Amino acid sequence: MNAIIVSAVFGVLMMFASFLVNNKNVYRYLAIIGLSVLLLANILETYAIWSIKFDSFLQLSFERFGLFFNSIAIAATLFYVLLSGKDIVRVGNYSAEYFVLIFFILCGVSLITSYNSLLMLFLGIEIISIPLYILTGSDKKNLKSNEAALKYFLMGAFSTGLMLMGIALSYGAVGNFGLEGRGVVAFGGSMRVSFLEVAGLLLLFISMSFKASAAPFHFWTPDVYEGAPSVFTSFMATIVKATVFIGMIKLLEARTGIFGPTWQIILPLMIVLTLAIGNITAVFQQSVKRMLAYSSIAQAGFMLFALWSANDMGREGILLYSVAYTLATVGIFAVLVKMKDYTFDGFNGLAAKQPLVAASVAVFVLSLAGIPLTAGFFAKYFMLASAIKSGAGVWLLVVAVVFAAVSVYYYFRLIQAMYFKEGEAEMFEQPTNSFKGMLAIFAVLLIVLGIAPSLLFNYLYF
Amino acid sequence: MSQLVFLVPLFPLIGFLITGLGRNYLSKTATGYIASGSILGAFIVSCLLFSQVYGSGSGQVFTLFHFIQTEGFSIPFAFQVDQLSSLFLLIITGIGFLIHVYSTSYMHEEDAHHFARFFAYMNLFVFSMLLLVLGANYVIMFIGWEGVGLCSYLLIGYWFKNGDYNYAAKKAFIMNRIGDLGFLLAVFWMLAKLGTATYGEVFSQVATLSTFDITAITMLLFVGAMGKSAQIPLYTWLPDAMAGPTPVSALIHAATMVTAGIYMIARSNVLYTLAPFSQGFVAMIGLATAIFAATIALRQNDIKKVLAYSTVSQLGYMFLGLGVGAYTGAVFHVMTHAFFKALLFLGAGSVIHALHHEQDIRKMGGLKKQLPITHITFLLGCIAIAGIPPFSGFFSKDEILMATYAHQPWMYFIAMGGALMTAFYMFRLYSLTFLGSYRGHTDAAHPIHESPLSMTFPLMVLAVLSVVGGFIGIPAVFAENAHWLEHFLAPVFQPSNELVQHTHLDHATEYLLMGISTVLVLIMILLAVKLFGKDDVDVKKDDTGIKKWMANKWYIDELYQAVIIQPLHIFSVLLKNLVEKNIIDGAVNGVGRLVHYGARQFRLIQSGQVGNYLLFMILSIVVFILIWFNDATILRALNNIF
Amino acid sequence: MLWTNFLMNVSTASNTAVDYFPIGIQLIFAVGFVATMIGVSALIGPKRQTSDKLQSFESGIESVGNARQPMAIKYFLVAILFVLFDVEVIFFYPYAINFRDLGWNGFFAVLMFVSLFLAGFIYIIKKGALKWED
Repeated sequence: MNAIIVSAVFGVLMMFASFLVNNKNVYRYLAIIGLSVLLLANILETYAIWSIKFDSFLQLSFERFGLFFNSIAIAATLFYVLLSGKDIVRVGNYSAEYFVLIFFILCGVSLITSYNSLLMLFLGIEIISIPLYILTGSDKKNLKSNEAALKYFLMGAFSTGLMLMGIALSYGAVGNFGLEGRGVVAFGGSMRVSFLEVAGLLLLFISMSFKASAAPFHFWTPDVYEGAPSVFTSFMATIVKATVFIGMIKLLEARTGIFGPTWQIILPLMIVLTLAIGNITAVFQQSVKRMLAYSSIAQAGFMLFALWSANDMGREGILLYSVAYTLATVGIFAVLVKMKDYTFDGFNGLAAKQPLVAASVAVFVLSLAGIPLTAGFFAKYFMLASAIKSGAGVWLLVVAVVFAAVSVYYYFRLIQAMYFKEGEAEMFEQPTNSFKGMLAIFAVLLIVLGIAPSLLFNYLYF
Repeated sequence: MSQLVFLVPLFPLIGFLITGLGRNYLSKTATGYIASGSILGAFIVSCLLFSQVYGSGSGQVFTLFHFIQTEGFSIPFAFQVDQLSSLFLLIITGIGFLIHVYSTSYMHEEDAHHFARFFAYMNLFVFSMLLLVLGANYVIMFIGWEGVGLCSYLLIGYWFKNGDYNYAAKKAFIMNRIGDLGFLLAVFWMLAKLGTATYGEVFSQVATLSTFDITAITMLLFVGAMGKSAQIPLYTWLPDAMAGPTPVSALIHAATMVTAGIYMIARSNVLYTLAPFSQGFVAMIGLATAIFAATIALRQNDIKKVLAYSTVSQLGYMFLGLGVGAYTGAVFHVMTHAFFKALLFLGAGSVIHALHHEQDIRKMGGLKKQLPITHITFLLGCIAIAGIPPFSGFFSKDEILMATYAHQPWMYFIAMGGALMTAFYMFRLYSLTFLGSYRGHTDAAHPIHESPLSMTFPLMVLAVLSVVGGFIGIPAVFAENAHWLEHFLAPVFQPSNELVQHTHLDHATEYLLMGISTVLVLIMILLAVKLFGKDDVDVKKDDTGIKKWMANKWYIDELYQAVIIQPLHIFSVLLKNLVEKNIIDGAVNGVGRLVHYGARQFRLIQSGQVGNYLLFMILSIVVFILIWFNDATILRALNNIF
Repeated sequence: MLWTNFLMNVSTASNTAVDYFPIGIQLIFAVGFVATMIGVSALIGPKRQTSDKLQSFESGIESVGNARQPMAIKYFLVAILFVLFDVEVIFFYPYAINFRDLGWNGFFAVLMFVSLFLAGFIYIIKKGALKWED
């Protein structure tokens, strides 16, 4: 409960700060302080030291897994603000409000990680989505940003409609909003799953796949990610997406019984489609930003494995995946924001001009591609291993590995551009030492987790 | 106290890191002190470990952390300190230290950063070698095994501006890789059959395996040993490896690395005892190598090449010892050989240093006046290797030969022939170098002078060891229970000795054989000195007939070139032109084109129109619902297909 | 699962179809009432048609012409804020009815709700969202 309340309170506080203080740096520092306090509050709750308690009438339940993911999300946001804070306040005139929205999104994140009823899930998804619509359109003078926000809003509203329909059908079948559902019921002498419940859950699942940008509900992703200001793209492509996966895991685990053999068709179909569309389309992109948008679809394909496997290893894996993917993507975007030219050619010769930055980006890219000794490798490994544990067919793993190989092509184009091509990689400003330091910390974290991923899991259980 | 075991490899590792990373900043003096000091530290800890093992009479295994852990098996990163490994620790760090000290002078002409590079490699080598010896399972041993191979490659190619040296380095590396493959397969086989690679577990469970499995594992392990310890047919790299600096030859290619194969087989003695076929094979290869390399050494003119072939030959003796079950004898010979061969190489280095990198013995002669210390120590080394009692070589070689006689008398006689050749070529080398008159050209600007103390000191220490080193293994025939080494190593070889009862020769036969061999060796020595110690020895004439074959190393390199390398080359050209260009490239490019084509098509779906997007989404939902409600039909169809 | 099962499932889910009878009756009445009223008024009402009367009512804005006319954004802002606060005020009605039952806990909950509400209000005033003139 700490994370939900504290993040909301800090959101309101930042709102007031927006007209009480008129210094952009102060907003940034306030946000950093707020995020630190939020992280502390959540950790205190994780270890049952101190927490705000309200009777939520069983609408919310706080477990180690969700709380730990909260910590990851908050810490990632903190790192994100530390790294890109200056670029956030620079997007438009409403600097403080951007942080307000980020705090509200974190509130939604903590709702999703702890929901125990579909109403709370809906609330969480909406609390995340609406600030995102605004952040997407925050570059008000840029037509692309406006277009992206409108598209996102329209399609998001559509998916919200689907979700509400799904919740309504599920309610109709079960008689309450509880997460558990009714499962198998006696029907005409045999045990059957209620049709309404299945249909409701399918719609709910489709709506959440939309938020997680899994194919074939991914269409908004490239347009929105490209149109949105790059700093916010990095936020919505990482922390928000991972959260949606946590929400999906909670939902599917609670209602395993409902997904019969059908699951063997639909989820693999989605995994293959997501991997194929994400990876193959990314190959052709000239803009690094758009490539990252498609690659985020491809990464979602891997995260879907955790849903398929639905075991402890999958849960561990999705946490590692979130961390690995978030750190790497936030890092690349932080550099991308500073580039004048977003195409691959814009990175030509970066290694000569900014060796440390280029080296960090290389580590991020390697991690995204899943090369050993980076966290990304173990993240992918855990996903596939958990699927094997749950009895996945070999063909599915082969497809996944083949597409991971395809991804190496477009990820390494970035390394190639930075290291092996001549050029003037122009930046808006010279990166400061603290920026470079943060980037290096990201890279080191990725490597440390790539050597000893169990460091992360220790916190999940102890 | 024993917990300090991790310090042993840690010291050289730290030395490697400091000298390697600081190569552009450290002065030569500092590098020398750090590199030698780290080995000295390892040596001191090794001595403590040794004394403890000696005192307690038992070994211990220390697990540092879990290296690889899967459901099927677990491989800990563990060190095993017992009689065998502690003995090897002493040899490696002790001789390693002396050679480091020696190198500080020998390499002094190099630039500071190349100098540091040399010592970094040397420290890394010692580290790898210690890992190899200390590891408590075959995987850790393999890590060390690969590490020493890498260092050997780096050091042979140390003067990387010389193309020939690079070629020699590559040759050593590739030959070793062939052997390593065998080793690796053996480890896999072990893991597959036993689920463990830890020595203790393997040895206690190996009896449950079929004879075929044990034979296969031991044969594959021996393939590894052939590569690393330069046995037929993988020995040709070792003579070429003399391209490296002489201390490298002394440390790696004589005293330590090449004995890794001996160590491995001695460590796996239980396996070999249970696989008589493999053991016999080891003995045959060892014997063949011993005699074969000795014939080549008879006609070599490069001071280091002679020593190199002599090393190959001596390694053959060690394998012979292992093959006939004289494990203690083999280890004993490893030790004494380490003393006198390091001594000989360092002595040769001293000569080469004094003559400004002249290695041809035909251009030497009469050096005993200019290089008194080198001369005396070299002579002691020659006597030791020739096997004159009571020098160390006598005892160790004698032990192997006696065991061979007990095993198969005809093998003994062949081995004896090799030993006589050893005596002959060693004293040919000695005579041509130190006796007679100087045949090289004299350079007034660079007079020949004795090497500095840091080079002669190791020579003197090693000379003392070569002389007295044999007394730890006095055979029972001279005094009951005087064979200290056998008692010390008994726990390691006990399982094998329980399995096979060795017949002991009666004392009369033993005395007789010893007497004859000593007399024959003395005759050979006198013959060699007589032939080559003259003032006017004729070294210019070309060899003919069989001598020419010997001088050209039986044309083995040419044979390999014609039989293996050329066909492979032709085959690879064929593969490149036909398979690679048409089939592989075609397939790969085809996949690439397919992906590109797909990318273009997929991109078209992304039209930017919200209406289209929504339409696709709705269609997908409809498809999903259709799938959902026809799941039974679809699953049946899928089952029919797959 | 087949479509037929779905239909059967619905019928069994509400296995007491009789329960829905009143709702059906109400539906019929509701539709019938509306239809009757429209029909009767069309039949018996006086018909005086002028051009102004035939135009649809658009809050005083020209109903014919280009609909994409630029309009002051403030208009929408005020309208949206009005709707927002209006909708939130609706929550007071159920609270007013359950005032006694909810007791102090309910009071504090509503107090919190109002304070957030107020915070939002202060925010929009301070941001000048309600300022009509620049």
